[in-house]
Amino acid sequence: MKQPPAWRSGATTRAGARAARGGERVAFNATPLLAVKLPRWRSMLLLFLLFCAFTLLAGRAFYLQGGIGTDFLQRQGEARYARTLEVPATRGKVTDRNGVVLAASVPARAIWAIPEDVDLAPRELAQLAQLLQMPVSELKRKLAAEDRNFVYLRRQVEPEVAERIAALKIEGIHASREFKRHYPEGPTAAHVIGFTDVEGRGQEGIELALESTLAGRAGSRRVIKDRLGRIVDGDWQRMPVDGRDVVLSIDHRIQYVAFSALKDAVEAHRAKAGAVVVLDVKTGEVLALANWPSFDPNRRDRWDAATLRNRALTDTFEPGSTLKPFSIAAALDAGRVSPELRVQTAPGRMTIGGRTIGDAHPHGVLTVAEVVAKSSNVGTAKIALDLPAQTLWQTYTAAGFGQAPSGASAGFSGAVAGRLRPYEAWRPIEQATIAYGYGVSVSLLQLARAYTIFARNGDVVPLTMMRTEAPPAGVQVIKPETARAMRRMLELAVGDEGTAPAARIAGYRVAGKTGTARKLQNGRYVNAYVASFAGFAPASDPRIVVAVMIDEPDTARGRYYGGDVAAPVFAQIVAGALRTLQVPPDGAVDKVQGRPIEPPRPPLQRLAEVAWVAQ
Amino acid sequence: MIGRGTLLLVAALLVASGLSLVTAQHLARSLFVDLERARQQSKALEAEGNRLRVELGRASQPAAVEAAARGLGLRPVDAARTVFLPAGEGVAAQTGAAR
Repeated sequence: MKQPPAWRSGATTRAGARAARGGERVAFNATPLLAVKLPRWRSMLLLFLLFCAFTLLAGRAFYLQGGIGTDFLQRQGEARYARTLEVPATRGKVTDRNGVVLAASVPARAIWAIPEDVDLAPRELAQLAQLLQMPVSELKRKLAAEDRNFVYLRRQVEPEVAERIAALKIEGIHASREFKRHYPEGPTAAHVIGFTDVEGRGQEGIELALESTLAGRAGSRRVIKDRLGRIVDGDWQRMPVDGRDVVLSIDHRIQYVAFSALKDAVEAHRAKAGAVVVLDVKTGEVLALANWPSFDPNRRDRWDAATLRNRALTDTFEPGSTLKPFSIAAALDAGRVSPELRVQTAPGRMTIGGRTIGDAHPHGVLTVAEVVAKSSNVGTAKIALDLPAQTLWQTYTAAGFGQAPSGASAGFSGAVAGRLRPYEAWRPIEQATIAYGYGVSVSLLQLARAYTIFARNGDVVPLTMMRTEAPPAGVQVIKPETARAMRRMLELAVGDEGTAPAARIAGYRVAGKTGTARKLQNGRYVNAYVASFAGFAPASDPRIVVAVMIDEPDTARGRYYGGDVAAPVFAQIVAGALRTLQVPPDGAVDKVQGRPIEPPRPPLQRLAEVAWVAQ
Repeated sequence: MIGRGTLLLVAALLVASGLSLVTAQHLARSLFVDLERARQQSKALEAEGNRLRVELGRASQPAAVEAAARGLGLRPVDAARTVFLPAGEGVAAQTGAAR
């Protein structure tokens, strides 16, 4: 049986008895009544359990803070405040040679939606559709795709519009940053510059050719954001590399002159298309390169595939008479003929190997210079047939025909080589026709480049779309004296007796050659023409080469000759370009195309400063 | 044994250092926020500059200039209305004027 607890049987203890007996005071804490006798193992057990618990805690703490579980917790923590941000690189600008922006990226917004989150009142829907410039039905259709959790409503929206959309505070509509490429010159320089896709990757022209230079590289950074979304600390970052700017050789003023002259001519002659190339003779820089029809690179929705083609680079044509100077130059260079040598071209027909070639008008006896000026096929054929085929081929090849121009680094994407068959395969009739520009195909860029051998001293330089400071070294094609002789002949070709008096301008001596070539369709020559003109100015010390090509001018009115169609375009462009370049005049100014001029009205100003006068 | 005074001192130092760490961290972060804001501003200004350049390009486009000039009743100068001065002299030697 168990003993009763001591405090219950207090009276039986000695001290208790003493206190009871004598009223002797005992301190409370020493009261024997309170002296508890616990078994020692209980306290030990408790202590042990406490020890175990603390050990567990310490272990857990160690596990979480210093050991195995740490990574997980840190990741979880970071996931709540750290963000990896994409830092986009800005695409480089494209400018003309004077720093005028031709293409630049400007921030824009992409508006997107999570369809299932969007619940629009009809009024909001109308507002949103109006801001996005799309019909309500289209917006509804886009938002109806509930199975998708992401849909772009419109991309490349102006930031102001995006802000107004954000101000509507519609749930499920979001905006993200992106860039929009702007082309201030619009259709004028569209083919040169090309365009990018909606993601900012180059697709055509310079944008494609120099993609790696322009693009840059996006960076990223790891940051810590506070609850307000502000970036409060950075962890690491890889800086974005912005795309580099590209300075083209194009002069946007000359480009405009070329473009508008071409456009007017193509429209006036109801032609299918046209192209113009303007080169700097000294440096081989392309000062202007225009095509019509053109497109506005800012308005993607209105593009037509046919207008996107850079005809001056990618299309070849049989140039016809514009190639004659090269065969004449080959003969001059070989010492076979001199400019004064007389050639019988009567009766204006000539039969070679069973095929007959002919002139538009019979000319009789002509000097070699007159053969060029009057563009006699028979005379050219006779001179060329006197040459070894190899010599002619070599001159053509050295001038760049049949050769693709130096590649994409110079900015020519998609430039073609044209076609010049190997001379071993030429039959005499072919040698004759190739001499006056049939049976050989060239691009307008090649034609313009080839004319630099006359404009320079018989050498040719590689062309470039980039602004260059130092003129490159040329490769000699013909002798300098041959080039000089050809310059004089080509000046005669725009004289009163030549085929292109319309190419002349006041104040400058010009030189050049017309071409009117029948088009070959399905292996047959049809009643459609390519009118061309290639030339240079000022003739005394050439600065620019201009080549013009008009495809299929309207034949109905009988004005489809290079001299009627392409030469006036040349004159317009040369006048504008030389004024822009402030080239001092070298020619007579009292007569323009035989028309006398009255004295001027003051005030006098420097030539290039006044571009506009009162009507 | 370490005296009570030393202990208090160390404790006070510890507290002070702890507080200064917090302050420094706060300061660093607020400076970082400022830096971030400045960076964003610089980006925005750069973008604005680009936008203005594009606008300038658009406004100085020859087509725009021509349209504006024609609106004012002007037309392009041609050689017929240009006075040509011989090099080195201030005298009009060869002249040309409009129809």
